[in-house]
Amino acid sequence: MSLPSENTADSALPTPSGPPGDLAIWFFILAELLAFGVFFVAYAFTRLNNIELFDTYQRLLDTRTGLINTLALVTSSYFALRAVIAIRHGRSLHCARWLWGAIGLGGLFVVVKLFEFSVHTQGGVTLSTNAFYMFYLSLTFFHFMHVLMGMVILGVVAWKAGHGGYSAREHTGVETGAAYWHMVDLVWLILFPLVYVMR
Amino acid sequence: MKTKILPTATATRVWLALVALTLTTFTLGVFGYQGIGLVVTVLAIALFKAHLVVDHFMLLRRGAPLWRALLTGYLILIGILIAVPFALAGH
Repeated sequence: MSLPSENTADSALPTPSGPPGDLAIWFFILAELLAFGVFFVAYAFTRLNNIELFDTYQRLLDTRTGLINTLALVTSSYFALRAVIAIRHGRSLHCARWLWGAIGLGGLFVVVKLFEFSVHTQGGVTLSTNAFYMFYLSLTFFHFMHVLMGMVILGVVAWKAGHGGYSAREHTGVETGAAYWHMVDLVWLILFPLVYVMR
Repeated sequence: MKTKILPTATATRVWLALVALTLTTFTLGVFGYQGIGLVVTVLAIALFKAHLVVDHFMLLRRGAPLWRALLTGYLILIGILIAVPFALAGH
């Protein structure tokens, strides 16, 4: 029996109602979004009283690294979606390959971010340098840790998918890992313009 | 009610839209634009991108109305709470 094509639009296998993956991950995602949301709003209101300082130091950030990292995460998130599509069609190996690709792009994000952190460190920048750097370093490091955690989760899922651990009927783990990874992407989509561009 | 997944072609179009919007934001930043026009434009682009992720990558568009509403509501709330202090900053 041939497997259905991943290009067959909405004829893919249906799943039960509710969000994809384990319901618990969605409560976790909501909690994470709220935590980042508090950070974002605190940044915006703190800037209100330190506009010149924030604008001055924001201009010192390298927008190109922000661009590379945004493209890496957006594409990585797309790969995670392709992994979900693949496993819903029963294509375990395709699923694993898309996930390893997503992890690879997560690795690119990590390398670029570590480069950025090292530049700041060599320049003597710390959390206590000023209010802008306090937010910049805290927010980006907090997000960085989520990227690492997401890569570990996707790694476990990819390994299992590569060993036939998921099927078209049972693939909760793939959807759960992908949902978390999309959250990491979503947070960065707000963080990047807020911290690197908006002034 | 059943949730259905995106066709691959649609997923790819959404990804390309996200890339294009990212490049737009980057370009606005590189050219040194600032002020309320930049803030509103860049914030709107960011929230629209996040909305695309919620709907098409997280697969909440169909079959999960509660979670879609929660995340969309979050984006709207965050957008307002970020925009207000930027507007008050005198842009």
